Amino acid sequence: MSSHRVDAKVVMLGKESVGKTSLVERFVHHRFLVGPYQNTIGAAFVAKPVQVGDKVVTLGIWDTAGSERYEAMSRIYYRGAKAAIVCYDLTDSSSFLRVRFWVKELQNCEEHCKIYLCGTKNDLVEADRSVRQVDYHDVQDFADEIKAQLFETSSKTGANVDKLFQKVAVDFNSTAFQVLTEEKGVDLGQKKDAYFYSCCHH
Amino acid sequence: MLDRRCRSRRSLPPLCPASREMSQKSERRGIHVDQSELLCKKGCGYYGNAAWQGLCSKCWREEYQRARQKQIQEDWVLAEKLQREEEAAYASSQGVQQPQPSLAPFSKFEEKKTNEKTRKVTTVKKFFSPSSRTAPKKAPSERVEKVSGVRERHGETLLRDLRGMFAQPWEMVAPTEESHEGKTPSPSISRQSSIETDRVSRDFVDFLKNLQKPGREIHKQCRAFIESMANKKDLGADEQSECVQDFYQNMSDRLMTHFKGSSERVERVMDQVEKYIMTRLYKNVFCPETTDDEKKDLATQNRIRALHWVTIQMLCVPVDEEIPEVSDNVVKAITDVIEMDSKRVPRDKLACITRCSKHIFNAIKITKKEPASADDFLPTLIYIVLKANPPRLQSNIQYITRFCNPSRLMTGEDGYYFTNLCCAVAFIEKLDAQSLNLSPEDFERYMSGQASPRRQEPQAWPQAGPSSSPGLSQVYQSLDLLAGLGARQERVLEGARTLESDLISWQESVEREVQEILEKYPLEIRRPASAIDSDNVENDRLPPPLQPQVFAG
Repeated sequence: MSSHRVDAKVVMLGKESVGKTSLVERFVHHRFLVGPYQNTIGAAFVAKPVQVGDKVVTLGIWDTAGSERYEAMSRIYYRGAKAAIVCYDLTDSSSFLRVRFWVKELQNCEEHCKIYLCGTKNDLVEADRSVRQVDYHDVQDFADEIKAQLFETSSKTGANVDKLFQKVAVDFNSTAFQVLTEEKGVDLGQKKDAYFYSCCHH
Repeated sequence: MLDRRCRSRRSLPPLCPASREMSQKSERRGIHVDQSELLCKKGCGYYGNAAWQGLCSKCWREEYQRARQKQIQEDWVLAEKLQREEEAAYASSQGVQQPQPSLAPFSKFEEKKTNEKTRKVTTVKKFFSPSSRTAPKKAPSERVEKVSGVRERHGETLLRDLRGMFAQPWEMVAPTEESHEGKTPSPSISRQSSIETDRVSRDFVDFLKNLQKPGREIHKQCRAFIESMANKKDLGADEQSECVQDFYQNMSDRLMTHFKGSSERVERVMDQVEKYIMTRLYKNVFCPETTDDEKKDLATQNRIRALHWVTIQMLCVPVDEEIPEVSDNVVKAITDVIEMDSKRVPRDKLACITRCSKHIFNAIKITKKEPASADDFLPTLIYIVLKANPPRLQSNIQYITRFCNPSRLMTGEDGYYFTNLCCAVAFIEKLDAQSLNLSPEDFERYMSGQASPRRQEPQAWPQAGPSSSPGLSQVYQSLDLLAGLGARQERVLEGARTLESDLISWQESVEREVQEILEKYPLEIRRPASAIDSDNVENDRLPPPLQPQVFAG
């Protein structure tokens, strides 16, 4: 339970049924599930270690309820999050409207939270271009504007999924690294001091 | 100054041997004061002084020195005693019951005593400074070697040691003052400490035993912190929370350097520290009077009670309680979330929430035959909270937020479930017609208790009464309606009848009135007094009537 340490909190945001859970499922278990399966108890919270260079960053991925009736509470979810993956369905333009809402919320409440936009169900679009309802370039412009990264993924084929989470882990590592090294330096010094002190008094 | 005072006193003999000449002088003058009264009480032959309790300067100096020395000695003894007790308590919990021989040279006691005093007032951070670490040194290991064989023989010490341990929670309530005097608490007070507190203390010490020297240090600092918190009872909840969080932070920083960055070991120790500290602080910091936690508790409780009619369908909960396994999980989840209130340590409370959540996931999985996502989980958790109405829900949430180790709360799995619980509570507080997909009118009617939605699906609420059968209640409603209609019809008929009789009597009365009036004023037609054309006597006197004339023009 508490055995696996989690380094970074990553929240999944997005309208109901855009495929947040599938995305996480694909990333964690490398599978796309149709129909009944019994192996996992729930996909609402997962902790997944990601290799970044010679380090391992454990992402704690928080699934959130996307239904509009819980919109008022979404703030509680992303408190303290290091990254937010805001999902929308490439074949559903209404799902992208909600993206703007979450991005605004995040910018207001969690300025240290990095935003990643994620268009899901790319496999459907690739199979039939006409079902695409959200234009790639429009979203790219929006992403540039809010300084976010954009990924179009397919949980069914696995396209771009690992890339997305890898990017999240790398970004976290690079920002956390500076802070960590600074702290480490101070800590070492303190320890030395303490050691000397106890020696002298002896 | 001394001499001057002597002279001013009617030139009495000087009181001190140092000014002997003067004393002889005054003797010669023969002033009538009994010599014996003026002499030093020690009988050294010199004069004494009332300011020095009748002693001469030399004897007074000696006497004073001795008294001071004695006091210092006593202080030392007291300090020693205190030190020994603390050592013994620790030693006993380490499995050694030997009264502790003084560890440090005598001269160090003063220093220790002051250490002890400052420890109670300074901030936590101070305790991490190296100077406070000098005292214990390699004591524990020495002790273990020396006395490990004499365990049984020291029943008495054991008793005292235990008392020492039991005294801790009491010290928390009434700090320092009495422990300075080295008294053991009265039995009635020590009884207040629950068995759980003692067990936790013992577990804690057992755990620290494995850590040797740092273990001893951790124990000392925790105790000191608890004592310092006892003095901060009047602080607001937020300040108290800050103190505890600071302590966690400092402690884990220290441990981090000690364990050379092994975060798992640090976390393990921190879990124990949290357990020990919060078990002891619980009474003072859970739902403190300085906050309105209790009020919120009551409000939430009443709110949930008022929402008793909310059904699984309204919340879109993907759980089918018809399946025995599912309802079993639901019941377990409810039990777990209620159990949270009985735990003292924030982590244990979190564990209850986590267990509750796991049962919910199971229930969803069995119903849906696929793993639950957050879209399934949150509504189900809301439903469970509504059904359980856990005691002191707000207080518990506040307590966990304030005093849990933040790393666990912010990122880990426990934190995720806790956040969901917070969301569930927030949802319940704000819940309105829209969030249940109801019309505002229906929502109002359900809230006011005028109607119950249960008749649509009696299964969801098995405890509902017989009225929940839809057909029956419809029959009752129709009967009521019919009865109402009958009564109204009766009233209409009655009204019609009275109207009829009223009309009849009105007609009669009008006729009667008319008759009466006719009789009263009978119609007499008299001939007119004079006719215009007949009998006109003076007709001839009138001018002739005007004749129309034709003018030629």
